[in-house]
Amino acid sequence: MNADVLEIKTEQLLKTKKRSQLFDVWLRLKKSKAAIAGLLLIGIFIFMAILAPVLVSYEDDALKMNVRVRLQTPGSDHWFGTDELGRDIFARIVYGTRISLFVGIISVSIALTLGGTLGAIAGYYGGKIDNIIMRFLDVLLAVPAVLLAITIVAALGASMLNLMIAVGVSNIPGFARVVRAAVLSVKDQEFIEAAKAIGAKDHTIILRHVLPNSMAPIIVFATLKVATAIMATASLSFLGLGIQPPTPEWGSMLAGGRSYIRDHMYIVLYPGMAIVLTVLSLNLIGDGLRDALDPKLK
Amino acid sequence: MSEFLLEVKNLKKYFDTPKGKLHAVDDVSFSIKEGKTLGLVGESGCGKSTAGRVILRLLEATNGEIFYKGKNIRELKKNKMRELRKEMQIIFQDPFSSLDPRMTVSEIIEEPIKLNKIINDKEKRFERVLELMDLVGLSRRLMNTYPHELDGGRRQRIGIARALSLDTKFIVCDEPVSALDVSIQAQILNLMKELQQKLGLTYIFITHDLSVVNHFSDDIAVMYLGKLIEKAPAEELFSNPIHPYTKALLSAIPRPTLDRKVDKIILKGEITSPINPKDNCRFANRCNYVQDICKQTEPEFKEISPGHFSACHVFSDHLSGEFE
Amino acid sequence: MRNKVLEIKNLKIRYVTDDGIVEAVNGIDMLIEKGRTLGLVGETGAGKTTTAMSILRLIPDPPGEIISGDIILDNIKLLEISENEMETIRGRLVSMIFQDPMTALNPSICVGEQISEAISIHQDVTKEGAKEKAREMLEIVGIPGSRMEEYPHQFSGGMKQRVIIAIALSCSPKLLIADEPTTALDVTIQAQVLELMKELKEKLEMSMLMITHDLGVVAEVCDDVAIMYAGRIVEQGNLEEIFKYTKHPYTEGLFNSIPNIDDRKAELIPIRGLMSDPYNLPDGCSFCDRCDYALDICQTEKPKKIYFSGTHFSECHLYSGNSDFQLNCGKK
Repeated sequence: MNADVLEIKTEQLLKTKKRSQLFDVWLRLKKSKAAIAGLLLIGIFIFMAILAPVLVSYEDDALKMNVRVRLQTPGSDHWFGTDELGRDIFARIVYGTRISLFVGIISVSIALTLGGTLGAIAGYYGGKIDNIIMRFLDVLLAVPAVLLAITIVAALGASMLNLMIAVGVSNIPGFARVVRAAVLSVKDQEFIEAAKAIGAKDHTIILRHVLPNSMAPIIVFATLKVATAIMATASLSFLGLGIQPPTPEWGSMLAGGRSYIRDHMYIVLYPGMAIVLTVLSLNLIGDGLRDALDPKLK
Repeated sequence: MSEFLLEVKNLKKYFDTPKGKLHAVDDVSFSIKEGKTLGLVGESGCGKSTAGRVILRLLEATNGEIFYKGKNIRELKKNKMRELRKEMQIIFQDPFSSLDPRMTVSEIIEEPIKLNKIINDKEKRFERVLELMDLVGLSRRLMNTYPHELDGGRRQRIGIARALSLDTKFIVCDEPVSALDVSIQAQILNLMKELQQKLGLTYIFITHDLSVVNHFSDDIAVMYLGKLIEKAPAEELFSNPIHPYTKALLSAIPRPTLDRKVDKIILKGEITSPINPKDNCRFANRCNYVQDICKQTEPEFKEISPGHFSACHVFSDHLSGEFE
Repeated sequence: MRNKVLEIKNLKIRYVTDDGIVEAVNGIDMLIEKGRTLGLVGETGAGKTTTAMSILRLIPDPPGEIISGDIILDNIKLLEISENEMETIRGRLVSMIFQDPMTALNPSICVGEQISEAISIHQDVTKEGAKEKAREMLEIVGIPGSRMEEYPHQFSGGMKQRVIIAIALSCSPKLLIADEPTTALDVTIQAQVLELMKELKEKLEMSMLMITHDLGVVAEVCDDVAIMYAGRIVEQGNLEEIFKYTKHPYTEGLFNSIPNIDDRKAELIPIRGLMSDPYNLPDGCSFCDRCDYALDICQTEKPKKIYFSGTHFSECHLYSGNSDFQLNCGKK
């Protein structure tokens, strides 16, 4: 051992901060051009959602009908034109961003919490518990997700809260499976055994070793699922089962504008593009994260 | 209190498989004195790693007794066992999967000290981590790196430091060098030997590599399909093997020398399945000296000369083992 | 003049990655004559497998590129022919056995068919003819022909390696490359497989390139030995020259690192330190940071080959100007 290395003082070493793993992930994510494009795009949407009241007025631009300016083509007054009731489409898309992102994130959080807990329990304990949980979820999985969501909304009634519950619940089996698989792949590794050997308790092992090492696939899956949830929200709203008019929502904007599609394409074009771009950007980020999160892939 | 640090009696570990009971460890008994090394040798699937894990109760035994310092640890409650883990440790074969990839080197070494509340003061604990890193020859500047940034030899040093971080007396070493390159292998073997002398450690050294075990162990026990078939002091086992399997195993090692003293014994066939084995000698179908009795009854594991045990119908009565 | 089967001249291969350039093979020469076995010895990352893959022209490009050199197999310049021609050479003139028998076979095709497939690619035979030959090959490697219809999962590790050998030898190649063929096997099985390979080599009169890290295996099957370190062959000679008249400090270090089974008290003398970073090889001798004999010149200048006999050379400064220098186990 080199003497000069030994001379490094303890205090000095205590102060040197460990390089955070998040920073490492960022370094690797940065290399993917697609992911950066996705991040920029979603950044713009988030920015729009946060600054919505500054950009446009909810009451005046997004809600107030003004028949005199109905069906105006895009121009300097109305960037994206106006709809059949004379509402500014840009303003409605800006406020629609808030709803889409909010519903997407909350419903995925519902699915992640419930499905993740079920999956983690099933994966870590295995055996009978695993069997019961997974067979129950298999039944849920056998029903198409959208159909399940429609049923839930139909039963509970159409509202934003019920929409989030519907989309969330229909995603539970997927999350449970992903979390279970991730836990299973970590559970049998030797460092878990090593933790047992140093006398760690079950909950310490799950919290300190199993979960942090299962995070990568879960984060990726959740990112991709936010995109699907936004689509589901739009689909349900389009069918009239989600956000109710006059609240601006991309799906219901599509539904409202579809009879004018022949002469006034822009009414559906812009909300449609908003959906496509959000979903695309989330998918790009998800793919980039998949590569960036694995510490062994270098 | 007995003269042995660890005594294993009639240890059994069976696994349930769809095809039947897998006899991974079947009626194994041995003992180790403090400060000594027992080499546990055998081919893949012979149950040597399972035996190591059962002794530490990382797997629960099916039957048998494990005495550590005279106490039967199989009867200990969970929290008493946890207390005992401070003394009984393990070093793993694979330095790539035995370290949590999301923890830094110092966090990995610190964890056992923290969990077992040995040193509660953060600064003192840190002091101890650095001490351990020096002890196993890890440069201090590596403390904030992650395991995947290091090579196999350094990772194995982390594993050793972790095993030593507690009040360690006894270590099960499960193939600690077989994943490493030759030159690194020698570094780690020398380190382990040095630590044994310095700290008075007792090792069970599990390996398939006979030349390593010969270099390292005081006693050697050979396993075949879950059974112990021969056990003797290292020198005795190498100069005077009794069991035909041990002989074949010894002769089969490729020797890096041009003047080979031993003729190769090539065994026929391969290891059979340890699922639902019959009550006969488990080596019978590959043995070059097989007799009728070998196919009918199981040979007894008995002392043939002082300290030299073997389980073989044919050679047990021939002390020198020279039966042709 | 004896029959050259494989000749490699000044081969240089590198990998261009995002993190930099890995100089994997840095100018090696190699010669294997008919019926001889060359052992290529080195540790992880020495460039052994890259060398072997380049003979089959299977270096993934990108990131790998062969910068310079010649590979001449049976009078054919492999680096100059087309990919189509190369396909007819792989399996027929040269074939390879890989380290892991568990993954080298297709699990969904029975072993007989896997062997006959290899035969019918290169030989003009009927389906029955190929099958017959496959059965013959199986029996040559010691597996009863009745197991033709069985699938890989029904075979144990040693048996699978035999099947792989049967496939590799099915077209009687002139050169067999074996990349750590017994590392994944148990000692007693390893002995069986090595014995089989030696026997078959004699029988089929082929040459072999044996890649291994185990000097014990080398002593048993090889005629010549090349020691590789950081992409260079640092010492080469016949078995006796390498084992008895070791010249390069690295070769000596390897021998000193192996526990001596016949002398358990012998002390292990490891090579200190680690292999140099392949992204950033030193200007001088790549081994000099780990070498106990290192001179000043080793830091700055690459050593040249110094011949001790027609076959035995070493790349080391210790012998330039003093060809009588003796290694002494690192004790100064």
